[in-house]
Amino acid sequence: MLSDEQEKILSYNGEVLLFQLSKAKCAAEKTTRLHVKRMAYDNGSNLFLQKSSGLFSMHGGNLNIEMVCCNCTADFRTGINLPCILMREKKNSVYKYFLLLLHSSNKFEQCLNFKLEYELKNDTRLLNGPTVLWRHAKKLFYISTKTCTVLSASVQLSSIEWAGEIENEGNVVLGIRPACLSEEEDGQTLSRSDGAVWHSEFVVYAVENRKILTGICFLPHAYSSVISCVHVCRTGISKSQFRTSVVAITRKRQLIWFQDGLPKGVCQLQDGEPCSVQVAATSRNDLLFVVSFASRDVCVVRKDNFQVASRLQKVKSVLVDDFIGTGTEQILLLFKDVSSTDSLSTFRITDFGEVSYASDISCKKDFPHVEELQENGFLTIRALEARLQAGCTSVRELQQHLQLKKKVLFESCSALIDLVQGTEHILPTAEEKGLVSLWDDAENLLHPLDKKTTLTSGGPEHVIEKLWQRVVDDSLVVGVKITESVNLSLNDVCLSLVMDQHFTSVSPIIQCQSKIAKLNKTFSAMSISSCQMEPQPKRIKLDFCSMNDLKKDYHGRPYKTSADVAKTFIAVTPLSPLLAFRDIRCMILLHAKRKKYQNGNLQESKTLTLLCGKISLNLEDISSGKYSVNLLRNNSHYTDTMEDIFAILAVALKFSFHIVSSDYTLTPVKMWLLSQMECMPIKECPENMFCHKLGSLHGTVFNWNLKTPFEGILTLFCSVVFQCLHSLIGILPPTCKVKALRSESKDILTDQLALALEKEMVTFRSSFSSAVSEVENNLIPSSEADKTMSRVTVSSLSDRKEAVRQFREELKNEQKQSALSMNRTVSGALYRQMALKIAGAQLCSDTIAWRLNIS
Amino acid sequence: TAGLPAALPSLSLELTVLYNALLFAVSESDGLVEGEAERISHGLIRVLEACGVSGQDLSTEELWQKVLQDVTAEEMRAPLHRLGALQGAVWLAANCLGSVTALFRLLSGTKVMLGALYRLLALLKAWSVPAEGDASPLVVQSTKDLKEILWTSAAFLQGLQGLEAGNLSAALSLLQEAAAGFCSKRVLAQIYTCIGCCTQQMGKPQMALQHLKRALQVDFQCLSALSQAAAVYRQLGETDAELDALALLYKALETPAQEAVSIDPCFLIRTELLVHTPALASLFSRSHPSEVKYSLAQRCLQAGRVGQAVEHYLDLLALLQEGPQHQVPLHGRSALPRTPEVFLEAASALEQHGRHQDAIAVCEEIIGRTGDLIPETLRIEWSCGAGGEVTGILPQERESLRCVVWRAAAYLHQGRAWTGLGDSKEAITHFTRCLNVLLRVQLVSTGTVQPARPPTTLPAWEGPPWGWLVLLQGSEPGKHRQGNGWQCLGD
Repeated sequence: MLSDEQEKILSYNGEVLLFQLSKAKCAAEKTTRLHVKRMAYDNGSNLFLQKSSGLFSMHGGNLNIEMVCCNCTADFRTGINLPCILMREKKNSVYKYFLLLLHSSNKFEQCLNFKLEYELKNDTRLLNGPTVLWRHAKKLFYISTKTCTVLSASVQLSSIEWAGEIENEGNVVLGIRPACLSEEEDGQTLSRSDGAVWHSEFVVYAVENRKILTGICFLPHAYSSVISCVHVCRTGISKSQFRTSVVAITRKRQLIWFQDGLPKGVCQLQDGEPCSVQVAATSRNDLLFVVSFASRDVCVVRKDNFQVASRLQKVKSVLVDDFIGTGTEQILLLFKDVSSTDSLSTFRITDFGEVSYASDISCKKDFPHVEELQENGFLTIRALEARLQAGCTSVRELQQHLQLKKKVLFESCSALIDLVQGTEHILPTAEEKGLVSLWDDAENLLHPLDKKTTLTSGGPEHVIEKLWQRVVDDSLVVGVKITESVNLSLNDVCLSLVMDQHFTSVSPIIQCQSKIAKLNKTFSAMSISSCQMEPQPKRIKLDFCSMNDLKKDYHGRPYKTSADVAKTFIAVTPLSPLLAFRDIRCMILLHAKRKKYQNGNLQESKTLTLLCGKISLNLEDISSGKYSVNLLRNNSHYTDTMEDIFAILAVALKFSFHIVSSDYTLTPVKMWLLSQMECMPIKECPENMFCHKLGSLHGTVFNWNLKTPFEGILTLFCSVVFQCLHSLIGILPPTCKVKALRSESKDILTDQLALALEKEMVTFRSSFSSAVSEVENNLIPSSEADKTMSRVTVSSLSDRKEAVRQFREELKNEQKQSALSMNRTVSGALYRQMALKIAGAQLCSDTIAWRLNIS
Repeated sequence: TAGLPAALPSLSLELTVLYNALLFAVSESDGLVEGEAERISHGLIRVLEACGVSGQDLSTEELWQKVLQDVTAEEMRAPLHRLGALQGAVWLAANCLGSVTALFRLLSGTKVMLGALYRLLALLKAWSVPAEGDASPLVVQSTKDLKEILWTSAAFLQGLQGLEAGNLSAALSLLQEAAAGFCSKRVLAQIYTCIGCCTQQMGKPQMALQHLKRALQVDFQCLSALSQAAAVYRQLGETDAELDALALLYKALETPAQEAVSIDPCFLIRTELLVHTPALASLFSRSHPSEVKYSLAQRCLQAGRVGQAVEHYLDLLALLQEGPQHQVPLHGRSALPRTPEVFLEAASALEQHGRHQDAIAVCEEIIGRTGDLIPETLRIEWSCGAGGEVTGILPQERESLRCVVWRAAAYLHQGRAWTGLGDSKEAITHFTRCLNVLLRVQLVSTGTVQPARPPTTLPAWEGPPWGWLVLLQGSEPGKHRQGNGWQCLGD
């Protein structure tokens, strides 16, 4: 009775739906019946058992009804995923199509009727909606329950590779179209050259939104000419970009895994013609790619290693779903079985890992009971909740604590700022802030400064060699060069600028910053041939400064003497406040302490103030560029280059970096300075290099001091340090360590520390000796008295009784003395003095030790 | 990119991928294998293919010429130059300096009219690395780094070749260029050591010492600098310093080497990988502690410091008896002579130091070991060639002859020691034994030889065994002359 049977298989919620179309040729009526059987896997019997079945009869008409394709799609009215099947009826030359939805009650619902004049071929897809989508004559058509009419899309496709739903865009189609060079408006088409290379491109078309999306984030266009099957595993949007995972098979039988449009793994497949690829997420968090071949072979590839996990033959169909109800997917392989008409008779459920069931053999696995699992889950959640709450509380406590600390810090900062600025700081009341002060709120009176300085106006010309001024950016730089003989005996030098005119509203003293500038003048570049000379036999010291040092050394000239160091004192002050006065005359005062040596020891020095001279400043001169730095403009020679350099160095921020390379030589630094930074050595002091690179780095002065081939100090005088550093880090060998140095170099600090420690020791010694001497002074009178007494007694030793008494007396005295010596005291004044001195010395050495530590 | 046809727009990426992959391959193989050249050629053929030019059947040099002349696309410049740098490295490692020079002449596009020695360096300097665009693919080692490393390697390699060829002043200046280049500590130490060798050969020992000292400052693991320094001190006649250096070398060799820490591959292509010549390998081969100990002992003995020499010899004998790890493989370069000779030297030192009993004991060791190795009579047929050289002695015979001489020398020593102890009876016994051993040898001449004139040179016969006999006859210790040995035997 039954003949010409057609069958389709679909998996749905772990069940297997078996659609069978039977055409009854019973005499009277022509009825085509569509049967559906819901089959579910039964663990006990290891069989697929029928749960329920349904029937749909199509009366009348002819028998030319066929099933075209079936799929599970979401019904947009309810949002429920339902199986649906597309049917075709041929009447004359017109094809009539209708879609059947299968409800859970096994009732069929007929929707979406449409007629076409052509037959739908392979590129037909059922999508959510339900929507039927197909391609005909390079055009994309679709119909959905929303539109109810056939619409054509505005995109040309030569093939549909994949169709499905993605986030925010709804149903989309991934297809291939010929590369269109003219289309530029969306900016997502591939670039002109790529199109010229491959002649085709991927296009992603969002059906509902009717727009073209960028295809490059799914697959590189280069593959558009070689791809044969595509499956989009996952899409998402992060930072307004698609995140995609795509598996594709090329014509060369390569399975390629793409992530965000980049190939991540390749597996070469066996011979044959692959026709579809499916993806299964199995229990071990692994993805399996199931490739079906036209030759009824199936090949399973593991994603984690891109190795073929299994090859199977004579497979009728492959379904991926959770058939045994474990929460992960398995692969159901249905084999061709000639002996049985039942299509589910020979099967295998497997995930190529823990699960494997076959129709002939059964290897069960014990799964924990559902109740037990639920209870476990409940307990875990409770415990996690408790931990979360505890965590929350501690975070809140920490936040409160942090806030309190911030408050204290803020208060201290404002107090410090007030102190620096000289204004009185008003402490908020302790209650108001909820704080208790640790110190007494005693008044802190500022002592008026002692006016002990003496103004030695006599003979500044003997001391001052040159006075100059420069304007750099927004700063006025005033420099004083002093004669070298005086230079050595001065200490703690600073400059101050005092305005001549007395404006009532402003203070006559201009706030400025004093600096000392040093440059090593003698550093002549010598040819490398100098080191070809044979040195004298006994030369033990060998240093790495450069080849040049060698020559210097055996010419008997010291490397660096104080005479070579030009010392200039510099004051820097912001220019703009001064410009308000239009025309100013300033006195430059130099304050210093003159060192005095007495018997070779450094004594407390005398403060002295020198009038160095006067400078005048007016707007015309500044705007005409009289004081500007010529070095910045071009590198032709000027006479006052040293002053220019001093001015730049004084204004620019100074950064020192100690660069140590553990393994590679530091030659790239020099290369970097000369090429990337476009530096030129300054003629007067070739150690320093001037950056001529245009941009924000222009005018930066570099000082590169290579101590050994693996260690050096780079000093920058610049306004933007980070650009420099970024570029520097790029060229340094990766094992290099760059450390920022504080202003002083380590050597100087080490010397200072040694001096401070020595001073501390001397202070200790002197204060202890003074204390000891005071104590001894207290003791001597009484002991002397004792001695005289004892002498008297010894001389007149006549009576024994008297002698005993005297000895007793003596003993008592001695006891008293020893008690005294056990408990010696010094006067409070001396003690205070000592403590102050020692504390001062210790503070000094501690400070230097700390600075040395952080440098 | 598998299976895709070569296309100009994708080639830049493809070449970069090839470059990166080759860098890893070269770095992994730790030297350079043949496969790399093949892959570069394949890449070049693909470039030509994309341009529609056939590149089959061309050598790599011709391919480069064709590619650099025909491919003018601006976007191909950077990847091609990058690959060119790698090709330069591969050729440099294979010591193909001519190919490298030709390649960089093409790359730099300049014609440098310098002497052959400095041409490559000048070309390298003139070669401007094309700037990498922002969009260009990332590389694991930038072309600039590679250029620096190539420069250092080229200078070093050419310097080494100059040193080998005896072109000392050129070698010196090339090595000094190399020392100013970008390299690792190990390589810098090697360069300094080579400069030291060079200046020593130029007759500037102080200069050599300075550079050797620098080498040690840079990398103390560079122990050949220490042995070189010892050689320089020896040349200068500063025995104290020489012995100090040798003692230090021995101490350094005794402590286990820290090989593991030194290698930090922060660059895939390093100078170490590019410069390997046999001369460098032999210069920087790690000498064996026992070899150093031997030269210490020998130098002490030669300098007349018998006490110290005895100590060192005894240490050395203890080392040799400790086990096979202290025995040096017998290859031609080894400074250590055959073990019996070491024993004989030790016995001689003991003897000179007046420790007669010990000398006897040491000699007894040799006598005990050689007893089974000597046949009752050793008949040696030999002939004298036209130039007076000895021919026709088989290797086994030669070995037996050596044993005879060692044994005889041991008896002779014992005899002298007994004489030293004042026991003339024992002394005579041992001298007799010595003669008995020597008389086991029967020399039969087969060729046209005049017996009156024994051959003056015996190049095929190693000297020391014969020399022992001379040594014992009171001549200077440690100096071996072959002719006298022959006479001694003939007497």
